[in-house]
Formats: sequence, C-alpha cells, structure tokens
Amino acid sequence: MRSRGFGGFAAGALVAGAVLWSFATTDVELSRLLSAGPRIADFVGRMVPPDPTVMNEIVKGSAETLRIAILGSLGAVLLSVPLGILASETMVSPPIYRPVRTLLAFIRAIPLILVAMLMVGAVGLGPLPGIIAIAFHATGMLAKFYAEAIDGVTRAPIAALESAGAGPLARLRYAIWPQMAPVVARDTIFRFELNLRESLILGIVGAGGIGFYIQTYVRSFQYDKAASVTLAVIGLVVAIEAINITLQRRFC
Amino acid sequence: MSAAAQIGDLSFFHPGASLPALDHVSLMVPAGESTALLGPSGAGKTTLLALLDGRLRGWRGRVSVLGAPLDPDHPPARASRPDVGFIFQEFALVERSSVLRNVLNGRLGRMSPLRAVVGSPAPRDLEAARAAIADCGIADLAERRVDSLSGGQRQRVAIARCLAQEPRLILADEPVSNLDPARAVEILTLLTGAAHARGATVLFSSHQPDLARRFADRIVGMRDGRIAFDVAAGDLSDVATADLYRETEALPGIGLRAMT
Ligand SMILES: Nc1ncnc2c1ncn2[C@@H]1O[C@H](COP(=O)(O)OP(=O)(O)OP(=O)(O)O)[C@@H](O)[C@H]1O
Ligand SMILES: [Mg+2]
Repeated sequence: MRSRGFGGFAAGALVAGAVLWSFATTDVELSRLLSAGPRIADFVGRMVPPDPTVMNEIVKGSAETLRIAILGSLGAVLLSVPLGILASETMVSPPIYRPVRTLLAFIRAIPLILVAMLMVGAVGLGPLPGIIAIAFHATGMLAKFYAEAIDGVTRAPIAALESAGAGPLARLRYAIWPQMAPVVARDTIFRFELNLRESLILGIVGAGGIGFYIQTYVRSFQYDKAASVTLAVIGLVVAIEAINITLQRRFC
Repeated sequence: MSAAAQIGDLSFFHPGASLPALDHVSLMVPAGESTALLGPSGAGKTTLLALLDGRLRGWRGRVSVLGAPLDPDHPPARASRPDVGFIFQEFALVERSSVLRNVLNGRLGRMSPLRAVVGSPAPRDLEAARAAIADCGIADLAERRVDSLSGGQRQRVAIARCLAQEPRLILADEPVSNLDPARAVEILTLLTGAAHARGATVLFSSHQPDLARRFADRIVGMRDGRIAFDVAAGDLSDVATADLYRETEALPGIGLRAMT
C-alpha cells in the first residue's frame, strides 16, 4: 500500500513537472490568446456559409482519395503476403522472422504523413506518392496481422491430413487456409478502412486526393471553399464509420 | 496368422522427457482382427499409436507396419501413408469446413497431387467419401459445417474421414472417450463393423475394460510405457484389470515428486 501511494505521488509530480516545463520553455503569451478571439470569429465568419460551388472538386477529390486507398491497399496486400509468411513462426525459423518483425515494427513507427512527404519529394506531386506511401505504411501493420493469422492456425488438422498422405500444398489449401481466411478477410477490410481514412489528408502535403483542395483553398484565403471541402471530409469519415459498423454487424 | 504391425524391443522418450513413454515394448498386432490397447492415463497409448502412424522420430527398436519397416529417423513415404488410417483423440477436423469436405480430406493421399491441390475429386473419391458418410450415419449432415456439430457427430465425421481413406490398418485413439455409454457402444459397433466389412485391422485405445472385452478380439494392457498383458478378449481377468488400474504406490518421495 505504502509503495503504491508513493508511486502515485511520484507519477503526479512527474506530470506536474512536465506541464510546468512545457509552459516555461514555450512562448505561450496569454495576450495573444485573448486577441485571437475576434480573429477566430472572423475566420469562422468567412467560412460560413460554405461555398457549394466546389461540389465538382469535392467529387473529383473524393474519387481520387478512394482510388489512392484502393491501389495503396492492393500494394499493401501484395507486400504483406510474402512479408507475413516471412514474419510467421510456423513458416520460417527465428533467424528469419525476428529481423522481419523488427523491420515491420520500424515501418509502423514512421508516420504516414512523413512517408507521403518523402514520396512527394521522390516522385513529384499527385496520387502516385500517396499510393506508394499508403502501401508502405499499411504493410507494417498488415504483414504483422497476416503472420499472426498463420500462427493462430490449429496444428492438429494439419497433422491429420499429413497422416492421410496429403502433400504440403494440399495441407495449405484444406487445413491451413480455411482456418486463416476469415481472419485475413477481416484484417484486410479493417486496414482498408484505415487507409481510406488516412488518405483523406494526404493531399495536404501534395500526395493527391481531396485533402489537396483544402490546402489549395486555405493558401489562397478562400476559406468558404476550404470549409465546404472540410465538411465533405467529415461527412466521408462518418460514412466510412457507418459502413464499418454495418459490416461488423454482418460478420462478427 | 500374419501381422498388421510387428514391434520388437521398442523404446521412446518424448523430447526433453526423463522417463520413457514406451519402455522396451514388444507386440504383435494380428491382421484382420480388432485389438484394444487398455491402460490408465499416461500409459503411452497415444504415443504407441502415433509411432505406428509414422509421426514420431528418434525411437529405438524394430517396428514394421503392414510388412514394411518404419525408419526411426525419417517419416514414411507419402505413398504408403493412406494405408494406415488414424482417428485422433480430439478429432483433428477442420472446424470451418463442411462434413463432406472433411471426409474428402481423407482421400487427399489417394488422389494425384494435381487433383488434390486443384480440389476436383474424381468420381471414385466422391463415391468413397459418400459411402463412408452413409456408413457412419451422417448423410443428412454432409453439407453442415463441423463447428455446428455435437461431440458424437464429430466423432462420426472423424471415423468417416478415416474410412474414406480406405486404410488397411486403422489406429483409433480413444474413439469413444468423449461420448456417453450408449453412444460409445454405437460408435464402436460402427467402427469395428465397418473395418471388418472392409477387411481392415483395428487397433484402438480405451480406458474402459468392458468396451475392450466387447469389441476387441485381443486386449493389450499398458502401464507406464510397458506391456502388462496381451490376452484373448475372453481371457481378460478382473484381477489383471484391477492391477492395470491400481493407484500409484505412495512410496515416500515419489508421491511428493509426482505432485511438483
Ligand atoms: N509431447 C509430449 N512431450 C513430452 N511428454 C509427453 C508428450 N506426450 C506425451 N507425453 C508423456 O508420455 C507419457 C505417455 O503419454 P500418452 O499420451 O501416450 O498416454 P496415454 O496412454 O495416451 O494417456 P491418455 O489416456 O491420458 O490419453 C505420459 O507420461 C505423458 O506425460
Ligand atoms: Mg492418449
């Protein structure tokens, strides 16, 4: 009990210290915060009413975002199949799956927006850097999921087919795959949904999709148009979430 | 009398185990008959059956199955494996596949490799699977997924898969331990009857002396990895059975060691 009380006190002191340190070393001027009120009001004022004339751009941008998410997800699946096998305990030995898993953890640690910026630098503006960024970033998670799907398979039916004289490919098809398939489908849909959501903002760094218009309109002070596009993005996120909930009801 | 399996001075340690699971076992399993392996938990029944199925490596002794010697260091040739059928204690079915698909899986070793992978069973394979399903009384369940079946129904699917394989030797690991007494009698009647009709040899393990007496021609008693007796079913005495299932002697030290 005593040590727990001390632990709680120490944690509290640590948090308080961190907050104080942040205030003391960052330029937080209260006066600026107060004078910002009217400016934010002005900003919001220029956003309403949203400009409905950008409907075309919204449709075009959304379609491109969808294409980026689809092709990026396809790339991630293609990369994740071999990497997932190489990261699974059941298929390969520790000298192989350990470094592959480390590599995947490393990929997961790099934020998507950073990858997208690097790719824009490498291949130029447009949807292509977005697709590459999504494929790369999503592989870190999807390959790990695939490896877990392989390792989660029950061994007994595989041994039973081997005992009956089935070869390795027949065992893969009739004992391993039927057990894996639902997990792989669920994980792939889950990752596609994340890809779609994350690709909405990729345009902000020039990597294509609907986010590109937000960036363009904000830069050219057309806040009413930026507001319309932002509302559309919010609508899309809600729609994706709704579809996801329906799918989950259907499958789980 | 010919032998379906011949075992001479066989010993085996599971990896990392300090006591042998099989300890100088010698045994002859007569062809065309039904033999019961009787013995308490941990006697080594599963181990002996898995070894005869060619799944264990690193044993010592001489073992031949259906006239061909087993190699202690290598799995048997794939072509010979369908001749030995195995019914697993925990069924080992593919839960998400249908009953028919599971039974067809028993045919995979008899199909050409291409057919096995492409997944188009020949009429011959379908016929064997349907016949096995009918013999096991589960024709109306053929399209059901295994994960929707009861324990007794799963047991029938496991037996049907083995019969579809058309083995000459059937190794059944406690095929009725998960069932109530009436179901157990049904299943053993089915198994020994189907095997007899197909001219196959049966070696099944069991905890229950009365079932062994009723369904086996010979009864082999096992305890602590050794053969305790090997008698015709009619000659099994209650004294021998009681001795087979006696409690472990509470010698000072041993009881304690067993608990830790
Ligand atoms: N994979 C394994 N690794 C180590 N020891 C094992 C393994 N499998 C079995 N054993 C041991 O080998 C001995 C024989 O086990 P086995 O499973 O053959 O007994 P059994 O007669 O089939 O028992 P049961 O009636 O409970 O199924 C036991 O002492 C068991 O603990
Ligand atoms: Mg056993």
